[in-house]
Amino acid sequence: MRGMVVPKDSLGELVSKLSDRYKIFGPKRKGTEWIFDEVESADEMDLRYSTTILPPRKFFLPTSERLFSFRMDGRVEEPEEPDIPALIFGIHSCDLNALLLLDAVFSSGQFPLPSYVKRRERTALVALTCTEVGDHCFCESMGTGPSPAGGYDVLLTDLGGEYLMESGSRRGDEILALARGREASKGDFDRKAEAIERAKSKFKRRVDLRDIDELFLKNLDNPIWERLGEKDLACGLCVNSCPTCFCFDVRDKLDFPMDSGVRYKEWDACVLLEFSQVALGGNFRRDRSARIRQFIGHNLGWGGASQFREFRGKAKCVGCGRCIRYCPAGIDLTEVLKELRGA
Amino acid sequence: MRLENPYLAEECVIKGSRRQTPDVYTYAISYPRGSRRLRTPFMPGQFIMISVLGIGEAPFSFSAWDDEKAIFETTIRTVGNVTSAIMRRGEGQRIWVRGPYGRGWPMEEARGKDILIVAGGIGMAPLRPVIEMVARNRRSYGGLEILYGAKTPEDLLFADEFDSWRSIPGAELLLTVDSVPRGTKWDHGVGVVTTLFDKIRTEPNDSIVMMCGPEIMMKFAVKGLLAMGFRPEDIYLSLERRMECGVAQCGHCQIGPKFVCKDGPVFSYSELRGLPDLLA
Repeated sequence: MRGMVVPKDSLGELVSKLSDRYKIFGPKRKGTEWIFDEVESADEMDLRYSTTILPPRKFFLPTSERLFSFRMDGRVEEPEEPDIPALIFGIHSCDLNALLLLDAVFSSGQFPLPSYVKRRERTALVALTCTEVGDHCFCESMGTGPSPAGGYDVLLTDLGGEYLMESGSRRGDEILALARGREASKGDFDRKAEAIERAKSKFKRRVDLRDIDELFLKNLDNPIWERLGEKDLACGLCVNSCPTCFCFDVRDKLDFPMDSGVRYKEWDACVLLEFSQVALGGNFRRDRSARIRQFIGHNLGWGGASQFREFRGKAKCVGCGRCIRYCPAGIDLTEVLKELRGA
Repeated sequence: MRLENPYLAEECVIKGSRRQTPDVYTYAISYPRGSRRLRTPFMPGQFIMISVLGIGEAPFSFSAWDDEKAIFETTIRTVGNVTSAIMRRGEGQRIWVRGPYGRGWPMEEARGKDILIVAGGIGMAPLRPVIEMVARNRRSYGGLEILYGAKTPEDLLFADEFDSWRSIPGAELLLTVDSVPRGTKWDHGVGVVTTLFDKIRTEPNDSIVMMCGPEIMMKFAVKGLLAMGFRPEDIYLSLERRMECGVAQCGHCQIGPKFVCKDGPVFSYSELRGLPDLLA
């Protein structure tokens, strides 16, 4: 177990050293909420944040992204990727685990998406054991928090006046080498375990994941979907704020004077009417009830291990609670699950 | 290592087109040999993404291919922006193609077995390469029975090939249409494709069913076949879903845990039973 303990007031120095090598993004206060945004110093960050409005998915899968440019004579040009290494500072366990699911979609399949793979490779992740469990959080039940088991370069845990810093990769070792502190002792790791236990005691939501794929597939005709369909506004906030939702549209755009253009991808959402529409107006999820069933069923039921072998024992949902928090109709997937279980 | 961008397509040339029905054309398209973005050989039932730059991209099945001449055919109904743009492009014009993608018809499992084809309307397009493959490798397969239904006689695709299909040893072709316009000569069935089912000679054991058509047709056809004793795992269906990528990323074609583009588009009925958002 390799770790270091650094005093909190030395974080500024570390971030300043890191900013020589990386473009740093961290949790910043915005009104009553937080966002991940570019920071130049540690003072700009609020590491006691709860959940950011948008998850860090936006850095790896931008809302809109060019796949290639073309000229009408057929010449094609691939987008240039900026080569600046980036670092996400203070990513919570839920959002970190979400990236591992996105990896299954965009990195490890037969056709990796080069822009995603490159951004993942060149982005260092400094994760943070979450101590600020929000009202909508349930990562513990999903097996994705409050502290990550892996997938980070560095893991920070708040021990009071200091941070425990653990390395999870060679890049993490390099970052630790920049920090000023002492070698962590067994006692420090015990304090980390206590911090995790304290966080766990704060969860207000728990879900039961046993045989969850079958549960959803057995309940496709449950009247709950009709009821949710009537409530649902099909606005897409749940999907847009989800750290693991990956769906997108592919479109062409012509530039004036129509001799060149771009093919680009843009976030899409299964709760929107056009999502499943095919030629001649056919639609496989025309009713809102079918669309909200897809969102919830995919997140809690059939979208994890049954869809991606790499995701053994996990659901697509990482329990960040954003979809519950932002739903203007008050739809709560943890309540839906309880009802399906007959609780 | 530089990763290949899976969204880049190969420039291909339209060599010609044949009118099949008032709104369906079969296009012959020549492709560059040895292309990484268009990998041959194609397997019957797989699909390709075809695009017109500036208009967009859509998935299509191919209805024939000839690797020696480096030409494939695709049969397309003109219904939207991309298909209209393809139709407006004449001989010698370029289109962009990538693929093929997905899992096609079970041609290996079907070896030595009888094959029953059930097609509706444009659903015959992805099944035509099956008929050709059986004809070319006649001794590898058992009997071949083709049931084909369409709205009217003029909506039947590949009508000029029916005689050659009938001349395949051991092959049978049964036709039906929903209605026959006054003055049209028609010696075959009238009614939906399931009205042909009492003429089926293929035995349920040791046979494979391959089916493509509107999902509502497939729903009733599967029901009929199950009642006749065909097993769910021997009935294969090709599904249509919205697809924007073809490579299991855009998410549009998902049915439960399945990606139609990657796990299908051909599925056995036993794989689909119990999944959401199916009409069947």
